[in-house]
Amino acid sequence: MAQPTQSKATRRDFLKLAAGAAGVAAGPWVSRNAQAKPVSIVFARESSYVKNFDVHFQNVMAPAYEKATGIKIEYQIQAAGGSAVPQLVSMVENKSGADLAWVQQEWLYRDALVDVSDIAEAVGKEQGGWYDEIKRLSIDKGKWKSVPNGNIGQLMNYRRDWFDEVGVKSFPETWDEFLEAGIKLKAKGHPFGMSMGHGFADNYSWLYPLLWSYGVTVMDKDGRKVALDTSETAKAVEFVKKLYKEACIEDCIGWLDPHNNKAFLTGQISCTNNAYSIMVSAKRDLPEMGKVIEHGLNPKGPTGQRYHSLVPVTHGVFAHSKDPQAAKDFLRWMMDPKQYRPWIASGDMYFAPYLHAFDKVPEWDIEPRVKPFQKVLETGKLTSWPAPANRQHGEVINRWIVIDMFTKAITGTPTKTAIAEAVSQIKTIYG
Amino acid sequence: MSKILEASRAGALAAPAHRPIRFGRLGAFMERESVFSWLMLTPPLLFLLAFLGYPFIYGVYLSFFHKEVARTADFVGFDNFVKLYNDPIFWQAVRNTIIFTGVATIVKASGGLGMALVMNQSFKLKSFARAMLLLPFIVPTVLSTVAWQWILDPGMGLFNRLLVVSGLAERGPSWLGTPTMAMISIIMVNTWRGLPFFGISILAGLQTIPVELHESATIDGAGTWGRFRYVTLPSLMPVILIVTVFSIVITFFDFQLVYVLTGGGPANATHLMATYAYSLSMGAGQMGLGSAVALSMVPVLGLLLVALTFFVRKD
Repeated sequence: MAQPTQSKATRRDFLKLAAGAAGVAAGPWVSRNAQAKPVSIVFARESSYVKNFDVHFQNVMAPAYEKATGIKIEYQIQAAGGSAVPQLVSMVENKSGADLAWVQQEWLYRDALVDVSDIAEAVGKEQGGWYDEIKRLSIDKGKWKSVPNGNIGQLMNYRRDWFDEVGVKSFPETWDEFLEAGIKLKAKGHPFGMSMGHGFADNYSWLYPLLWSYGVTVMDKDGRKVALDTSETAKAVEFVKKLYKEACIEDCIGWLDPHNNKAFLTGQISCTNNAYSIMVSAKRDLPEMGKVIEHGLNPKGPTGQRYHSLVPVTHGVFAHSKDPQAAKDFLRWMMDPKQYRPWIASGDMYFAPYLHAFDKVPEWDIEPRVKPFQKVLETGKLTSWPAPANRQHGEVINRWIVIDMFTKAITGTPTKTAIAEAVSQIKTIYG
Repeated sequence: MSKILEASRAGALAAPAHRPIRFGRLGAFMERESVFSWLMLTPPLLFLLAFLGYPFIYGVYLSFFHKEVARTADFVGFDNFVKLYNDPIFWQAVRNTIIFTGVATIVKASGGLGMALVMNQSFKLKSFARAMLLLPFIVPTVLSTVAWQWILDPGMGLFNRLLVVSGLAERGPSWLGTPTMAMISIIMVNTWRGLPFFGISILAGLQTIPVELHESATIDGAGTWGRFRYVTLPSLMPVILIVTVFSIVITFFDFQLVYVLTGGGPANATHLMATYAYSLSMGAGQMGLGSAVALSMVPVLGLLLVALTFFVRKD
């Protein structure tokens, strides 16, 4: 056990040695500036689908902070689509890069984040309190390691006109009604397109809630026992097989996150689970389609419960930051209602605050079709639910084990075998 | 003045005619072939050591450790490899990688040979055609793969529209929606991208075959097939071997194409060792396990290359 530490130290020593000469020369400069206020803070965030959200930050918030404190904010926008996590991992491993960031999959590197309990608790107190579920992500061993910023709501996006055509006047309340509507729509040439590939949101956002609504969770509450191996899981898998065969477009089992947007906007599907980005694109580029897109809540399962999957945006401060306190000060300033509320509004509530003070704000009424996304917070769960959002849970997610349980069954593996394989892999991961 | 002139003339006469500038001792040392060659080699060697050697050695080191992101590493010996041995997804990725590399390389080699033979003929706009054939190789993979996403779209994609419009099918297949079709699709896209590399390299080889060889074979009574079998193909074998070896290496490590097109799905049907190593390291944060997957590629690839070299030499 001593060996890794020794090897690691050797490697570090080597790097230190290499930097030695430069360090000697730079010594006086560093010591002169160590006490000074930082000149700039680097804030990394994945680009927002609602462009105005980033524009507001760059044009209003960053200049305002610089004016107030003299500290320049460098807004480092990361490309959307899965590249942010490797960048964050790289920052953590190299102990360099941004001072604070949207800490996606924070369970991977909580140890590299500083305690921000003082900020989170003050913000919660000030703005009506936090939703309980998000605390299970941001709080680790009793300390807040990130400050929640907002939830990217995932709901059923559907074509009102096509649903009307087959006589489905309101969005299905149960999964069985959902299947019934899908069969009718597929017969009319308007299948559903429910993502089941190796994406990062649009697959989990309906398959996990569906499982939960059948009374199934992947792990037990403590995250010690695999809870997937039940007859209810088999029923859920059989339902998804039927839904795929009778109501869906064939391609959707291989879809990544952009595919369902593309299929919806090109009129190939009548319903999918997604954020409201489809409506944003349609209103901008396809106004006629933009008028007939609606959002429905996930249907209820046999337990009579309905669930949604949270896609959290949380901000954390890296311990490797040259001045973590300065980054924390900025984070606190950012979450002040004077800054935070206009910022959230600039993004048309795409990022729904996990704070109860926002439950009934008039911003939710600007676009009635966005309002259902506020409801996601009430029934929303983390993908680890009810178990802790930890590394093992992240591994199950990033290896698509539960998603592939469904797709294996669809592509010919017997349901029992597909479940047994998933259970075996999860047991290996949790150890 | 005249003395200076004389002295300088004498010096000029004494100096060898072919060496107008004197470098001194250092210059003479550097001009030695053994020293000069090392001087030229050092920068690329340092570059390779820094950007290939160091990551590779660090990867080997990590594969023997339980290393999670933001945590110190614990030495675990061969534990990561034992875990992989018992991991069905790993074995599926190995199978997929071998099928993907094998089929794509065979199709690229035979297609590239055909392409080179056609390009070696004289026809109008030959140069333009050659330039166009290089395009797939020039366009960044991520960009071209995004274009392929559209081409393979079940409803709006070019392939299925052509099938429907031409009346060949009522509706086209789901290119990425079934495990078999998804594998065929990634092989097709890889072939499209890699074919020009074979084509252009073999064409260069074709142009070095002396015309006299073909002429004497013709005099000996060889037909088109005979000339191809006994003159063209044997002359091309060294080029084909080198290009195939390069192609196997590049195809074996392909990542971008699969990552953008399928992410390894559906149901891991297109998960390659490179995409699996990435999802374990960067997604799941298991740097040690991910490195072990990456390292596992080396012996498989080494065996393939040794077998190929042995086969060709024997031939």
